[in-house]
Amino acid sequence: MNARASHAILAAAAVLVLLLLGAQATAPLLYTAENTATAAHADPATVQKKSPGNADTLVPLMDDLLGQTGTLALTIKLKDYESAESDLARYSELSRQFDRLVVTLDVSGTDIGEFQQNNRQNQEALTTLLNDTRRFEDLKRLEIEVQGDDGQRMAIAYEGEALRQKMRQGFSAYAERETATTRIAEHYDLNTTPYQASVEHFAEVVEAADDWREKTGGSTPPRSPLGIAVTPGEGRYADTLLIAGTYIGGTPGTPIEVYIDSRVAATVPLGDDRTYAYPYRVGRILAGPHLVYATAGAIFSEVATFEILPRNTTITLALAEVNRTAVACTGNLTTAEGRPVTGAPVLLRVDNATLVSTQTDQNGTYVAEFVLPAGEHTLRAEFHAAGYPLNAAESEAATVTIEGEGLSPLPLAVALAAAVGTGWYFRRRRQQPEESPAVEEEDEEDVTNEAVEQPQPVKIAGLPLREAATVLFRVLRARLGLPETKTPRDCALLAPAHAGFFERYEQIRYAGETPSEEELRAMEEEAVGGDEHA
Amino acid sequence: MREAWAVLLILLLAGAVVFAHTTTTTEEYSRYNVGWNGTSNLAAEEVRDLRGLDPASTLLVLAPDRPFTAEEAGYLRAFLDAGGRVLIADEEGNANPLLADLGSTMRVRPGNLSSLDRGHTDPGLFIGYVVGNTTFFAGVETVLANRPAAVEGGEPLIETSILTWDDGDGDGRVSGDETFARRVVCAREGNLTVLGDPSLFVNAMLAENPTFIDNLQPVLIDATHSRTGTTNPIINTRVWIQQTPLAAAALAALAVLPVAWHFGRKRDD
Repeated sequence: MNARASHAILAAAAVLVLLLLGAQATAPLLYTAENTATAAHADPATVQKKSPGNADTLVPLMDDLLGQTGTLALTIKLKDYESAESDLARYSELSRQFDRLVVTLDVSGTDIGEFQQNNRQNQEALTTLLNDTRRFEDLKRLEIEVQGDDGQRMAIAYEGEALRQKMRQGFSAYAERETATTRIAEHYDLNTTPYQASVEHFAEVVEAADDWREKTGGSTPPRSPLGIAVTPGEGRYADTLLIAGTYIGGTPGTPIEVYIDSRVAATVPLGDDRTYAYPYRVGRILAGPHLVYATAGAIFSEVATFEILPRNTTITLALAEVNRTAVACTGNLTTAEGRPVTGAPVLLRVDNATLVSTQTDQNGTYVAEFVLPAGEHTLRAEFHAAGYPLNAAESEAATVTIEGEGLSPLPLAVALAAAVGTGWYFRRRRQQPEESPAVEEEDEEDVTNEAVEQPQPVKIAGLPLREAATVLFRVLRARLGLPETKTPRDCALLAPAHAGFFERYEQIRYAGETPSEEELRAMEEEAVGGDEHA
Repeated sequence: MREAWAVLLILLLAGAVVFAHTTTTTEEYSRYNVGWNGTSNLAAEEVRDLRGLDPASTLLVLAPDRPFTAEEAGYLRAFLDAGGRVLIADEEGNANPLLADLGSTMRVRPGNLSSLDRGHTDPGLFIGYVVGNTTFFAGVETVLANRPAAVEGGEPLIETSILTWDDGDGDGRVSGDETFARRVVCAREGNLTVLGDPSLFVNAMLAENPTFIDNLQPVLIDATHSRTGTTNPIINTRVWIQQTPLAAAALAALAVLPVAWHFGRKRDD
């Protein structure tokens, strides 16, 4: 084939192959597992294997929570307070687990979120019921002990009435949630029987309190000298409600304890005009009806109620790169009216998976800084309003691209050093044989070069006979100007005048024959040109 | 001489590359797509004539995109009556007219089912639970579904967890008026089974549900109505040659002629 034509075909074929491979390199569908998910499906091999959370435990946990209400209400009704404490602890733990799962699975905006709200209120109501029932039992016992002391009896009657009213109010709210909770529970095929039983148990406990009041005070309980009122009767987050009243017959300066939902909210002194007032700023308290009463020593006021209404909230999110690996998130949590929500937990959800917690300060501002792996990330700020009379909120999703740590120079330096070392090693290895006196095959080139460039007397004395023959072959080949790549046979063809020498050397070299001393001398003569002189 | 061998080698390489690229495709569900979303690795025989199918086999209608004629529906009904099993895998609702023609109450309801009951970050890759008793799912408890559609009617065979929703806005979360509910993604009526997830048969999914795939054997794929074909003209020409004996013979003759001519010329020399 014509050399030029073959080279042209070779080049064209090479270009064709490169073009085809190059075209595929830009769209490597055939060779890579790059995820090109479509509307119909995704390649599972390229989708990260990560569960959103223990989703399979969510529904069983809801079932457990409902079951726990029944158990707890029953033990309260049976006045088995030790078991009730244990049941309440278990119920609280399950509720915490459930709350965490709802946030992790990002389902607070669903009916499961509504179930969660109701469960929180149920837990609160049953906790209050347990405390009130125990106190009720104490009052019953005290009533017997103070027989004949009208003052003490009246104080017990006031407190008993306050407790009774509280329990009645608490039951109303508990029973109100039954319809919604049962609806959600039935949607998830949950067993609602224990929960429905808990409503019945709750009712029985309240009825028992009513019975006691009728036995002790009749249908018209004595009016407490310690009055209480809440104005206005309802409010929202960050509003201020005034809890105030008069203590007829009270001594100015008497400490008045104000209780909200059975917990001491404040202690205020009785004024000279025998009135007291406590401005209550609505903060972290559940939305819905709440109970308030006051005590002055053993004297209990009646129970007043107020209602907290929910407010909408908004949360913002701004991202800023701190460095190549970290991002700073900041934003504000406010009510819809622009009031800051203070000390509230904020969650930052990264790539719909990882959660980072932070908290708002006194201005409703939160700040969080954390490290992310290189690549693009989507973040969202969420406020789940747990325990607040606020509706949950989430920010718009924001994306950030993290560059990641730059390439460390260390591996590069190590690779460079390794390359230099390898080069040095090979170079040294090549030089060593040249310095070696042994006549190896690799040395042929050098020996021949020396023979061509510096025609010196051939020194074969002391060498083994076969090696001496090799030296003589190289000398003759060099003297005749034959390329070093030529074999003895090639040399015999190219220099027929010395065919005998080369053929004999071929036998020595490849057939393993050993030349005699005389043969060697004759070969030496021929190699150095002795035959021509002869 | 050496250059000639190099040229030959490169030409062979180039030919192999050209062959590889012209005889494969990236079309979804295609039997000639060797990528993750093709069905080249699904062990099945393609059929184009629905008459007289072997009742011992399963006919798979995979992601149908062409309508069935009344005559073809009749052949399918006869196949079902003879004891054959038909599995229609569709998520776009294209099979609904055929289902109606077959007298079935089952329907495919396209959507974007997503679930929290999953082991992947993609909400469309989730677990389905086998709830029905059928040979297709013998020995199978769960199935990895890949963005399936819901199936209505019939006896449920695969149900999702209750934590499943139709992600209409595609944001990967339950939002707006989306609600959790259990959905059926596979149901049957007699020997007719409807699966709302043809993705179970793509190359990337075969290893995920191996027992189910094995239970289907022997499988015939309806190549006339399924999306398992291709629009690639080179592949279609190759297939036509393979299926047309006369064309195959002509091609063989064309291949032999130059060789014969070459050797004939040498002898003359």
